[in-house]
Amino acid sequence: MAADRLTVVGRAVPRLDARDKVTGAARYVSDLALPGLAHARVWRSPVPHARIIETLTERAAAAPGVLAVCAAADLPVKRLYFGPAYRDQPILAHEVIRYAGEPVVAVVADTERHAQAALALVDVRYEELPAATSAEQALAGNASLIHPEIERAGHFRDLSGLRPIPGTNVCQHYAYQRGDLAHALEDADLVVEGVYRYPALSHHALEPHCVVARVDGDGLTVWATTQHPFPVRRELADVFDLPLAAVQVVVPLIGGAFGGKCYTKTEPLAAALAARVRRPVRLALSMEENARTITRHAVSVVIKTAVTRDGTLLARECDVVLDTGAYADIGPRVATKAGYRAPGPYRIPTLRIDAKCVYTNNVPAGAYRGYGVPQVTWAGESQMDVIAERLGLDPLALRLKNLLKRGEEYVAGDTPIDGDLAEGLEQTARAVGWTAPLARGRGRGLACAMKDGGGTHSTSTAIVRINADGSVDVLAGSVEAGQGIRTALAQITAETLGVPFASVVVAAPDTSVTPYDWGTSASRSTTIMGLAVQEAARDAREQVLILAATLLDAEASMLTIRDGAIAHGDRAMTVAEVISGHYGLVGGEVTGVGSFVPGKSSGSLGGATVFWESGMGAAEVDVDRETGAIELLKYISAADVGQAINPRECAAQDEGAAMQGIGPALFEARVNDAGQLVNPGLIDYRVPAFTDLPPTLETVLIENADGPGPFGAKGVGESGTFCVAPAIGSALTQATGVRLTELPMTPERVWRALRDAERGSLPPTLK
Amino acid sequence: MKEIAMTVIVNGDKHDLTVPPHETLIECLRDRLGLLGVKKSCDVQVCGTCTVLLDDRPVSACTVLAFEARGRSVRTIEGLARGDDLHPVQEAFVEHGALQCGFCTPGMIMATVALINENPRPTADEVKHYMRGNICRCTGYKRILEAILDASRRMSGASAGNGR
Amino acid sequence: MLRPFELSEPTSVAEASELLARHGDAARIYAGGTELILVMKEGLVHYEHLVNVKTIPGLAGVRLDAGTLRLGAATSHRARERDPLVRQHFPAVARMEADVANVRVREVGTLGGNLCFAEPHADPGTLLQVFDATARIEKKGSARTIPLEGLFVGPFETCLEGDELLTEIVVPPLPSRSAAAYLKFGFLERPSVGVAVAVTLDDGHVADARIAVGCVGPVPRRMREAEAELRGKPRTETGAALATAGRIAGRAADAITDLHGSAEYKEHLVGVLLRRAWDQALAAIDGSPRR
Repeated sequence: MAADRLTVVGRAVPRLDARDKVTGAARYVSDLALPGLAHARVWRSPVPHARIIETLTERAAAAPGVLAVCAAADLPVKRLYFGPAYRDQPILAHEVIRYAGEPVVAVVADTERHAQAALALVDVRYEELPAATSAEQALAGNASLIHPEIERAGHFRDLSGLRPIPGTNVCQHYAYQRGDLAHALEDADLVVEGVYRYPALSHHALEPHCVVARVDGDGLTVWATTQHPFPVRRELADVFDLPLAAVQVVVPLIGGAFGGKCYTKTEPLAAALAARVRRPVRLALSMEENARTITRHAVSVVIKTAVTRDGTLLARECDVVLDTGAYADIGPRVATKAGYRAPGPYRIPTLRIDAKCVYTNNVPAGAYRGYGVPQVTWAGESQMDVIAERLGLDPLALRLKNLLKRGEEYVAGDTPIDGDLAEGLEQTARAVGWTAPLARGRGRGLACAMKDGGGTHSTSTAIVRINADGSVDVLAGSVEAGQGIRTALAQITAETLGVPFASVVVAAPDTSVTPYDWGTSASRSTTIMGLAVQEAARDAREQVLILAATLLDAEASMLTIRDGAIAHGDRAMTVAEVISGHYGLVGGEVTGVGSFVPGKSSGSLGGATVFWESGMGAAEVDVDRETGAIELLKYISAADVGQAINPRECAAQDEGAAMQGIGPALFEARVNDAGQLVNPGLIDYRVPAFTDLPPTLETVLIENADGPGPFGAKGVGESGTFCVAPAIGSALTQATGVRLTELPMTPERVWRALRDAERGSLPPTLK
Repeated sequence: MKEIAMTVIVNGDKHDLTVPPHETLIECLRDRLGLLGVKKSCDVQVCGTCTVLLDDRPVSACTVLAFEARGRSVRTIEGLARGDDLHPVQEAFVEHGALQCGFCTPGMIMATVALINENPRPTADEVKHYMRGNICRCTGYKRILEAILDASRRMSGASAGNGR
Repeated sequence: MLRPFELSEPTSVAEASELLARHGDAARIYAGGTELILVMKEGLVHYEHLVNVKTIPGLAGVRLDAGTLRLGAATSHRARERDPLVRQHFPAVARMEADVANVRVREVGTLGGNLCFAEPHADPGTLLQVFDATARIEKKGSARTIPLEGLFVGPFETCLEGDELLTEIVVPPLPSRSAAAYLKFGFLERPSVGVAVAVTLDDGHVADARIAVGCVGPVPRRMREAEAELRGKPRTETGAALATAGRIAGRAADAITDLHGSAEYKEHLVGVLLRRAWDQALAAIDGSPRR
């Protein structure tokens, strides 16, 4: 639909939750209080690998206010192990401790203070074991198996084909090949090889994980900071051997997620404790505990690219190793996706991809905004610029030459490219002033990347209810984590129904009320839940028009709803009047249902990509050569959103994503010392602050209405993280001649590289 | 252990409380007075999520002890709007899209109020410096900066002095 | 969460000192609490008894006494950041205070608390030493004054006896034709390297050079060997001397490798910041009217 005929979609309407959030009225899980609420605290392992000898809980159990002290054996559960890919993670450590920070004993007391005091009385005897605290160590020939046996979870269709390597710590091995590698390497005029490293990161959403669980006669209710209420419901149903209908997961607003709240985390523990003490239990993690619960995958990429003299890509080999920590979490899917996305958005006839998801005795790694793309893009796009340098080509021209065009296939059988990547990159280059003269000592870099967006084999269902007064309830399971999905769904509903935006309310996800949704991740909600909501709105609209047709004595096909009313000749009725007129009282409702069911297709991932989420980035930097500090002057980000449902929120998401890319590019990283997380909290883990905002931070939204979502929309929100590091890295190289291959590009690392280059200990990288 | 009897004015309302010395201001505001708009996040004074105004000065409620508010006035996010009328800073945040998940927002707004109170027309660099201790993980700060500059423009146009 | 403790609120130094003596290791002075409450919340330490010194009259405040700056130990960073007397007469101090931590810590945290907590990654202790600042230390019945440098014994360790309080920092003015500058390199939340200089010129020569380095090693201290490299030199010929002084100061700082960086890098930064602070100080002298 042409943008100028849209009345609410495409407008920067204020967020539905803005007022509540600026007045302090917004309620998050951590604000929830229930009568009789008890409080849980967790005793965590101080060592990365150990055999549990015994847990001594009597002293803690006797402490004031304590209701229960539980080790694994004390939990009233039918299944101790959970996980979205493998059921490998125990609710509390069982026989073996596999990472420093792992929950071993839980204390429940009448107040948080009592629980904390009792925690100090818990004693755990253990025998330390050698730990593999890096993927390299875990892959070594003599490494012991962290999980000698693992059980597949069977929760997700795309994870039904898991391929661990038996006898190793590799819990997922993704491999893909096409073309003739030997030939391509022979034909190449230039072959470049490099090793790139991306660190583990902490999500550090400002709201730490919090769960309130209550067990009663009907079953189990859990209020949780989760992006995946329905998968969590399923997991809890398995853990307690309950039917899905007896498990309720409710998610009010959550204070940021970025993937750290994906899948099941602390919900089973809170629920088990609630069952044990027969009172509602609140388990609220601190920020440090959060960092010991989930992390981003640290990734190393060995990448090799073969190219002809004129810059045509012939072949790419990517060996990707991901440190998934002690438990797989969703690591197998991240590894698969990282491998799949490693080649970059280019036309490359020959590929060899190998991705390994490796168990280690580190904190479990899982979903994190970008989902493997930032890590592999750091490697792939840095190497593109190495190629450009070596061939004497402009980095922009090299990319334009090889970028996939609309309609071309990325991988045989998968959805062809649905956007104009070259347009995005050219706009980005223009916005940064790519061809403008550069002040002395400065540098510019650019990069592009894409991911198969929307999730694989996911489904969403929605209900749109038109009440008797014409107001509308949207029941959708999408979680509002700040990305603005509730507002977008309300806009889609209002536009589709033809009712005022102000009349639409979007409910909070509640698995007992809002119908099934796969989850809020993978940039899928605007597109997939949006389509479900749109279909539900259409369903409701058609029903109203049929009722109106009778009341107005007209043909339904001749009627439309505009501004909440239906006009026919000189007569008009509001939607409210139609519904009341039909029911004969001021009551009743019209209920529309819609769903999105994934298409069946083959392709390397076993499912067709819903849309391609592409991102471009360009940076201009100055470098303080004495300290090595990189000063980011300009960063331009481009996101192809198809049709922005709310342009302001799209741009805001992209800016936030870019800042989340700036962090690990320049200073943000977890520091792991032999399995110990040295910087769990914000004093020693630096997240971007106000002073890191560059003088110019701009987002370009590409809108060609060519997405599969409502009104031509695509997903947005992750692509801003993709390109920041390689764009800055290449800008650094242009400014100084040095190239770093490990993130973050801290001042010290830059200084060392400059000093080594000066001393001649590095080969020159610039002709 | 001796508890401390105190009178404190919170958002204009007088409260007579008795608090143990170890109670933090955030515990007092949230758990005793039900002011759930004061959010707890890093708990180590870095993120600014718990920022409240103590006699118009921005402090970390997570680390200031509750008894330190005796005889003083505290202002939280709940005390900004006048009924349905939002404070200009709140309005600016809404208009500029300076919030996403909203968890940092109450603290961010309170710090902004303190900033503009002290420096009615800050430059962008002054804003960045003053607000350095308020972390946002969602927005990337650009729109927050724009909201703050806009609010300061509006407020210096509309009124002089420290009223709000 | 904080474990319970008793709070005393003395109204005199003598009373405070008595309380400290009585409770021994179980007691600690409590001022702003920005460091102390933090480590108590984290469970790293616990004190059964906190002695609130903010209730002692006269312990906070900024006074200029015949050109000498007298800073009450319980004065907040922000008070010093914003005080007109400090800004006018000791601008480097005001600027340094403006960059400490974040605005909330500055509102509540005190000079005495900062110095006595002796966290190595801090700012005031470094800059104040180039003013030859002294610390007034009192207990019941007596008082002593020591050079500020002597306060710091090790990381989180001062020379204070169990019953002593830091009550005042006295900052003498620099001679005429002098200026001070403080530069720090921040990578994490707390500063990584801090270098302070105070330069006095006399007829185109460096009459006095004072250098202090903090954050890098266990304590902030004066770098007298480095200072000697610069004293007496013509101001236009300090290039080589500054480089040498930087190397000497870097090595003397006892840098440790930690999350902030390697010892080698920190030593290098000492030299860089020294030269830059020096240039800033000279520019300040040149820019100000001849006194």
